[in-house]
Amino acid sequence: MGSSHSMPEEIQELADKTGFTLEQIEHLHRRFRQISGDQPTIRKESFDRIPDLEFNPIRSKIVRAFFDKRNLRQAPSGLADEINFEDFLTIMSYFRPIEMNMDEEQLDHFRKEKLKFLFHMYDSDNDGKITLLEYRKVVEELLSRNPHLEKESARSIADGAMMEAASICVGQMEPDQVYEGITFEDFLKMWQGIDINTKMHVRFLNMEPIAHCH
Amino acid sequence: MQPPTGPALAPAPGSSPGPAPGSPLLRWQWREVQAPCLVAGWILVASLAKIVFQLSRKVTSVVPESCLLILLGLGLGGIVLAIAKRAEYQLEPSLFFLFLLPPIVLDSGYFMPSRLFFDNLGAILTYAVIGTLWNSFTTGAALWGVKQAGLMDKGVEAGLMDFLLFGSLISAVDPVAVLAVFEEVHINETLFIIVFGESLLNDAVTVVLYKVFNSFVEMGPAHVQATDYLKGVASFFVVSLGGAAVGLLFAFLLALITRFTKRVRIIEPLFVFLLAYMAYLAAEMVSLSSILAVTFCGICCKKYVEANISRKSRTTVKYTMKTLASSSETVIFMFLGISAVDTSKWAWDTALVLGTLLFILLFRAVGVILQTWVLNCFRLTPLDRIDQVVMSYGGLRGAVAFALVILLDGAKVRAKDYFVATTIVVVFFTVLVQGLTIKPLVKWLKVKRSDHHKPTLNEELHEHAFDHILAAVEDVVGHHGYRYWRDKWEQFDKRYLSQLLMRKSAYRLKDEIWDVYCKLNIRDAISFVDQGGHVLSASRLTLPSMPSRTSMSESSVTNLLRESGSGACLDLQVIDTVRSRRDKEDAVMHHVLCGSLYKPRRRYKASYSRHFISPSTQERQDKEIFQQNMKRRLETFKSTKHNVRSAKSKARLKKDGRKKQKKSVANTELPNGKPPRSVNWQQTAAVLVAVDSDSEESDSSETEKEDDEGIVFIARAADEILQGKKASGSLDICPSPRIIPPSPTSAEKELPWKGDRGDLAVYISSETTKIVPVDMQTAWKQSISSLESVASPPGAEPGPHAKTVAGPVLDEGPKLERQMMPEQRICFQFPNPLLRSSRPQSDSSLERTEQPELQPLMALDEHGRMSTSAGPSNSRWLIQFNRPTRFSDG
Repeated sequence: MGSSHSMPEEIQELADKTGFTLEQIEHLHRRFRQISGDQPTIRKESFDRIPDLEFNPIRSKIVRAFFDKRNLRQAPSGLADEINFEDFLTIMSYFRPIEMNMDEEQLDHFRKEKLKFLFHMYDSDNDGKITLLEYRKVVEELLSRNPHLEKESARSIADGAMMEAASICVGQMEPDQVYEGITFEDFLKMWQGIDINTKMHVRFLNMEPIAHCH
Repeated sequence: MQPPTGPALAPAPGSSPGPAPGSPLLRWQWREVQAPCLVAGWILVASLAKIVFQLSRKVTSVVPESCLLILLGLGLGGIVLAIAKRAEYQLEPSLFFLFLLPPIVLDSGYFMPSRLFFDNLGAILTYAVIGTLWNSFTTGAALWGVKQAGLMDKGVEAGLMDFLLFGSLISAVDPVAVLAVFEEVHINETLFIIVFGESLLNDAVTVVLYKVFNSFVEMGPAHVQATDYLKGVASFFVVSLGGAAVGLLFAFLLALITRFTKRVRIIEPLFVFLLAYMAYLAAEMVSLSSILAVTFCGICCKKYVEANISRKSRTTVKYTMKTLASSSETVIFMFLGISAVDTSKWAWDTALVLGTLLFILLFRAVGVILQTWVLNCFRLTPLDRIDQVVMSYGGLRGAVAFALVILLDGAKVRAKDYFVATTIVVVFFTVLVQGLTIKPLVKWLKVKRSDHHKPTLNEELHEHAFDHILAAVEDVVGHHGYRYWRDKWEQFDKRYLSQLLMRKSAYRLKDEIWDVYCKLNIRDAISFVDQGGHVLSASRLTLPSMPSRTSMSESSVTNLLRESGSGACLDLQVIDTVRSRRDKEDAVMHHVLCGSLYKPRRRYKASYSRHFISPSTQERQDKEIFQQNMKRRLETFKSTKHNVRSAKSKARLKKDGRKKQKKSVANTELPNGKPPRSVNWQQTAAVLVAVDSDSEESDSSETEKEDDEGIVFIARAADEILQGKKASGSLDICPSPRIIPPSPTSAEKELPWKGDRGDLAVYISSETTKIVPVDMQTAWKQSISSLESVASPPGAEPGPHAKTVAGPVLDEGPKLERQMMPEQRICFQFPNPLLRSSRPQSDSSLERTEQPELQPLMALDEHGRMSTSAGPSNSRWLIQFNRPTRFSDG
């Protein structure tokens, strides 16, 4: 916060880059300091400071996504050890809601960005495919809140989903064809019917600018 | 019409006397049955009308059904008027509110997509409360202005209060009309839920306003005190929140009750209807908003009720609710039409009618635009202009307004007749004109339609992941938004509420992802059977001796699976180690016994009970046939498609497959790829097997069921002794041919993994028997031709040859049974025993490499490499193939 006032250009730059307003950046910065414990960077352990996150079944995946270099647009693979405020904003910008004045192309781009974030979350080994094993892991984590559902069921669900994905994405397969995993293109295909822009966003990030404009 | 019963003996006033005054044989008793007969008659007429409407798809695709019904009502009303010289059957407000409205509201509440509803609750409440208030006051005031301007007829004796009263009843969007029209339009779900939710929730506002203004009018405007206004405001909160609370209370009760209905399944659905109706009546009794009560009761109880009641009850609830709602709706619209004919209640004033029409359209549009403008500042997904147009235009008025206006006290509200006429015109205009034009309008504006695609598992998974991600991000940014609270609510629900309100068994398995998965499985299964299973089932059902055997075999299979857990004893090949002469005899005995014992037992089951739906034999047979067909289809599918389709390793498998095919070509005495069957056994027990195509069928299905369920064969099969024990044990439990059959060679003993692969039937076919009844040939061909191994029909191999081949080991079983069942023309193809025994070791290695193909997805071990031997740990995964259509419809 203090630093934000001292370096207005830098903040403006961040705002341009991520699409957040200055107020949002300020708020996020406050939050960032809170999480990091007034350090310049956030490490994985820092997320332990958020008590509500504890109950999230896919907590590890989400935390991991914050350090994924693909999401940080730094490198095609790998995990960062720590992220600074700019990285934090980059991650947050994936959850920006759409704006009224976006045109088709922007919307499409926006949508793809969001989906990429999701895709990277599933694709933990960076090979550009969500393999069955990766998918299973996600499903297992998703179901981990329910102690009565066995791993077996998670597996069968993941397998079923995978088969479904194969049938959606590839359609009629050749006899010797093998479906190795969901690629990003397939991923897009599966999401065709769903309006992700209306779903993948967090309210607060949009609240302030509008409250401001009135 | 009725036989003279006790009460009928007293001569009814309107009844025509019988021929003899003493004890008439027959008596006309119209009076006694008049009321229910009329009700039934009207519903019948309306339902018949629906059939007629649906005859012409062209008409119904353009004209909403509600419009047609109103027109029909007009026609019928005209006829009644012409005959009786007075308008008879009217839409009585009490009838409407007590009987016709509740089913519709319950239906809409119960089947309301609750997630969507609560996601948009803010917008819905805004439109419902503020929008309705706005509409009432502006419309009332504007009409009063018109009156003041002297444009209205002198006959319209109404002051400001009267107009406000009229405005309150005319401004509410009607759930029945909205639902009737919008269900056919298929607009996107957000828009739908907003309009529809508004129409449901604004009832509270309407009712309160109506009551308040009504009391004001009755008091006389001069006597209204300031406290009365305050009371009016307060009563709004009391009525709406109280109604919702009543609904929640009853929802809780209902959920709790259904938790304990395990033993009275048959009346389970009744509780749903009774308690919901009680909620309605209770709210009505204390003059709270009854619509809100039922709506919330429906929305909130659904999750728990659905989890608690049985599948059949669920279907019953669904259909009964839909039936009731649909017939209520039909009757309402028809009666609207009929009531409109009654001109005695009309008093026309052009200015009033036109003014009202203009104002309700205008002010609704203005209201929607203003509110949307405010809402869009807060909504994550803004409502664009097109949405606003549809929302403004979709504000249909309906029977609620009509019933309310009829309820007015003519002595106090002197302009009642004018209001009635205006209301009728408004209702007709909105339902007919707007209802007719909204579809083209939606098309023309290119409103986002809802895509009615089937729910996919992936979507469900992603959406769940979404919820968690978004909740997590909200946590991270430290914003306690909607998702945060929803997340918290879900946790609370899972931990306490569900535990309290759900059966233990249901609670355990309650998971949305799992539910979707199961639903999809069932859907696929049903579509499978629909695709072609019925042909088989029909032919099977006609065979007189079938049912008993089928059920026997089925029960034994299932029992077996249950008993042995993994069903390892189905590994037929292993059993021959313990096979002895005595076993064989035992087995024969068992067959004889079960064959003859089963039928009488079956008879007992056909008992009548009012309280339990006993699974009738027919039903059971259907079920068996269903299961067997499923299994067969699965096998067909698996062997054709999914080995190849989803296999992780392609080239190798393919090669192997070819080799195999060559192999089977070499052993051509086996035309069809069939799962391993123990020839020896069948020779002794041929009676059963041959007669019963089902047992054969399930036989094969068993094997594939094995890998459907990922049964671990290897571990067990390797343990010969255990296996042997199992086999004999299973004999005792439930004797059936397919359990006992010993494998022809001892080779399998050494190749225990063999049992693991029902799929591989083709390749193992060298040592299996082919018994395919003629009526099943087509089905088999399907699977076979796709396997392209040897496509000759089962009948091609002449039976006699097989018999001679099998001769040495054979008793006279097959011959015998052939004589017994000549009409079935079953073709036997027994393989050459020599070939059987010569089953080479190399074959086994081939099969070993084949394994991945069987278990395509699973073939990846933890390191992502192919695992060539399906270990017990990962053989269970195959359960996923319960959903094979996913592939086939790809």
